[in-house]
Amino acid sequence: MYSESFIPAVASLGSLAFVLGIIILFVSKKFFVAEDPTVSMINALLPGVNCGACGYPSCSQFAEELVRTRNPSMTCPVGGGELAEKLGTALGITMAEPKPVTCVVLCQGHNGNARESAEYVGIRDCWAAAQAFAGTKQCRFACTGLGSCIAFCDFNAMRIENGLVVIDKELCTGCGACVPACPYGVLTMQEKKTERYFIACSSHDRGAETRKACDAGCTACQKCVRECPEQAIVIDNFLASIIQEKCTSCGKCIEVCPTKVNCILLERDMETVKSKKVP
Amino acid sequence: MEPLKLKVSYAPFVRSKDSIESVMYNVAVALLPATLVSIYFFGWRALLVTGVSIVSSICFEWAIDKIRKKPTACLDGSALVTGQLLALNLPSGLPLWMVIMGAFVAIVIAKHLFGGLGFNIFNPALVARVFLLISFPAAMTEWYAPFSVDMQTAASPLGILKTDGLQALADFNTLDAFYGIRPGSLGETSILALLPGAAWLLYKKYITWHIPATFIGTTLLFTGIFYLIDPLGYASPLFHLLTGGLVLGAFFMATDMVTSPLSLRGQIIFGIGCGVLTAIIRLWGGYPEGVSFAILIMNALVPLLDRWDVSEIKAKKQPSIKAA
Amino acid sequence: MKTFKTGGIHPPEQKLTSGKAVEVMPHPQELAVPMSQHLGKPAKSVVKVGDEVKKGQRIGAADGFISANVHAPTSGKIKAVKQHPHPGGQYSMTVFITPDGKDEWLEGLNTPECDWKKLSKEEILKRITDSGIVGMGGAGFPSGVKLSPPKDKTIDTIILNGAECEPFLTADHRVMVEEPEAIIKGLEIITSLFQGKVSAYIGIESNKPDAVAALKKQADSKGIGIVVLETKYPQGAEKQLINAITGRTVNEGELPFDKGCLVHNIATAIAIYEAVCKNKPLIERVVTISGMEIHTARNIRILVGTKFSEIAAFCGSMTEKTNQVITGGPMMGKAQFSLDVPVTKTTSGILFINNRGLEKSGEKTCIRCSRCISACPQNLQPWLLANTAQLRDFETIELYGMANCTECGSCSYVCPSKRELVHWIKYAKTLASKRKQRQSA
Repeated sequence: MYSESFIPAVASLGSLAFVLGIIILFVSKKFFVAEDPTVSMINALLPGVNCGACGYPSCSQFAEELVRTRNPSMTCPVGGGELAEKLGTALGITMAEPKPVTCVVLCQGHNGNARESAEYVGIRDCWAAAQAFAGTKQCRFACTGLGSCIAFCDFNAMRIENGLVVIDKELCTGCGACVPACPYGVLTMQEKKTERYFIACSSHDRGAETRKACDAGCTACQKCVRECPEQAIVIDNFLASIIQEKCTSCGKCIEVCPTKVNCILLERDMETVKSKKVP
Repeated sequence: MEPLKLKVSYAPFVRSKDSIESVMYNVAVALLPATLVSIYFFGWRALLVTGVSIVSSICFEWAIDKIRKKPTACLDGSALVTGQLLALNLPSGLPLWMVIMGAFVAIVIAKHLFGGLGFNIFNPALVARVFLLISFPAAMTEWYAPFSVDMQTAASPLGILKTDGLQALADFNTLDAFYGIRPGSLGETSILALLPGAAWLLYKKYITWHIPATFIGTTLLFTGIFYLIDPLGYASPLFHLLTGGLVLGAFFMATDMVTSPLSLRGQIIFGIGCGVLTAIIRLWGGYPEGVSFAILIMNALVPLLDRWDVSEIKAKKQPSIKAA
Repeated sequence: MKTFKTGGIHPPEQKLTSGKAVEVMPHPQELAVPMSQHLGKPAKSVVKVGDEVKKGQRIGAADGFISANVHAPTSGKIKAVKQHPHPGGQYSMTVFITPDGKDEWLEGLNTPECDWKKLSKEEILKRITDSGIVGMGGAGFPSGVKLSPPKDKTIDTIILNGAECEPFLTADHRVMVEEPEAIIKGLEIITSLFQGKVSAYIGIESNKPDAVAALKKQADSKGIGIVVLETKYPQGAEKQLINAITGRTVNEGELPFDKGCLVHNIATAIAIYEAVCKNKPLIERVVTISGMEIHTARNIRILVGTKFSEIAAFCGSMTEKTNQVITGGPMMGKAQFSLDVPVTKTTSGILFINNRGLEKSGEKTCIRCSRCISACPQNLQPWLLANTAQLRDFETIELYGMANCTECGSCSYVCPSKRELVHWIKYAKTLASKRKQRQSA
């Protein structure tokens, strides 16, 4: 009695499984999508983070487009020269080598340097705060420290420290996804260099007002412009900037910079520093 | 004088006094008469069940907030209301470990595993009640008669109706049932004690009349039709109104904001669905009582009802966007 | 009593100053006149540092079609022209004037009252545009542009907005009680600009019976309808006011003139009357100074460009508990980050408050109470819009009717979870339009 009662159950479930298996087999044959093996090979080479730096929404779309057009000027900024070489060998073409870039913060207005204007209470988002008022700092060009850019960084290279965004040079791939995320235009992409001098300020206010709002603001004092032997520094609308192509990293500008905290910063890119062992 | 530190926020700068806390504590207050009456009817045991249910609900809420690394919301009143509602749905003689288990199911499984307050699909107290009912059918249907000194068990009117038929209910007293002098769970018996709470919630606009009215109305209509067809075979709609948890369910459980539809149309469909399902389960189902099952089944339909509204808004807009 | 069809709320009215007559504030030490006091492109400043200006002299010229002139509020010397905090929350090019104390009018302005009926339509419109009249209810749309709608639209209804539904504000209320003749004349001037049968109404909330009585006395003989409206927010929003008075609904993407309506503020009507009949540019306005944290709440007539800090001093300073200073009403106003900001043409009130709601910990999750849905006067689903905005899905949110939101703030007001519903919607609006710009670029 007991031993027989399980037979119909096993039989019915078994046959059900069999029929469903046949259906799956049929469906997988019928709806099989042929995929170009080159595309999947290229795709495997790509970083796979879908950051959008190449102009395509995802790595796989970049791969498809690259295989279809074989356009050597298509570059993946994240992978850099190494990847370009690999892609070139895989496709049998010579790929253009992207210039490695890195993210630079044009503001030193952390809570120690910049004066606060008013406390912001509400949605923790830079754009939302920008709708309520000009910014949490007295300087209306400053980083608000609410960190909307962080969500756009796929590489965990950004953090907020003491009310100012800080970039981890080692993690930053230069994809540029964070740049449009800043309502104040504090973030920018610059070519990687062993040593880079740059004006870490975005304030177009007049000198007196900039000085009132921040210890590290560029007051457009002209001193660095006069001192620079290469004429690599220009002042536009009360803000100095260093033309990187002309700059030879002599460091004379930083010596004459009169602001309380130098508005000119020297930054060394970690990758190059490591290889050359610069202190 | 130190310059004033101004704060900037976005408009509006005045907000209504209502908060999650005020909503929840008002529901708790509205349930208070029913709780007090249950203690009067069923004695210290009822107080014990209510107390254990509330305290364990709040403790579970506190613990799960800690585990989920969220700011503790154990005192925002939602756990209190869940505990209170759960107790009102239990028989007074239930072993206390079962009560604690019910609180666990309500807070941890029904509420927080779905995402916490605002995201739960099913009414937590009802999930716990149904869980206990299915797991421990005997203990959960051991009703005690009010004022019984020696903890004498008795069958609820709906139970009698299901097992023994209409004839066994010859001595059923309508007025007694209205006051609550009948066996049943803590909160469902006394309709009289539930009404002031319901009126309070309606007055404070924490609930609207749509769900309770359609729920009760549909149940009455449905059972009424069968009563008219065969008065000897089916109980009267009045009997259905006054026994079981119809009033408790319609005013306090089906109207739960989180698990009821947003739009008016959705609420009316929801109420009607609850009513029809309740009547069907009571008349022909395996269980004597159908309110909990009906509400839970309709809870599952709520996302669909809300989606319907949203898709209609979208459909209305789509052509104009495409044209532009 | 008339009202709009859907939604609405009733926040505590708090009209502390409704019984206080308008006082005149003495001229301040320095005036900061922003070039952007209206919707649209800021005016271009036409003065240099060191220039002497007369009262009423044009210091900012309208730049483009939707823009407005700006005039010197008093005579004096230009001290600086620079970026300065603006009550809108941002910075704006601002002209600083040091008054010379003579308060001399430029010749040809502030003339004795003339009969506007003798003026041609073009002359009337020119005077309104030249005088820099903008909507004084808050948005600041240039009146000259509003009064010349496209030729293919027929205007049959002119409405003056005296609802003043925002809590605290009483500036329009006092003006209605004190200057009913000027309002009626302003309304007649507006009406005369349109052909055919044009009916004119003044909508007033029922909590201002003295204003209703004062205007009725003047209006009845002139065929102007005084409509008493239910005291309900946002009764004074343009779309709601049109719905309440005419029963017409202004749909998404439509402007009031699509429905044959034009709505002007009470204060704008007076400004139009003064511009047309007295050739007086818009350089001053009545402002309600109120809130629990200011010593003397009052209604004052004030020069455009007066800084908030001087106003606070004039009203007996604020208490130490003040944590927010707000321009406009508490429902749609703006919190200030500095007391250096000046009064503009659109500042209807300045509130000094202690907002205790700020100390509680932020937004909580939606408990689906559906109050925002029943409060929304535009028949939207604010929770849905806010959720979609939070997901930054700016394509879908358009399908949910985002453009139809008037940002009245009723949803945020009623939300028991204290969600920033209207701020999320505004956030989505800004970022969605930014995205569109970027895509088309």
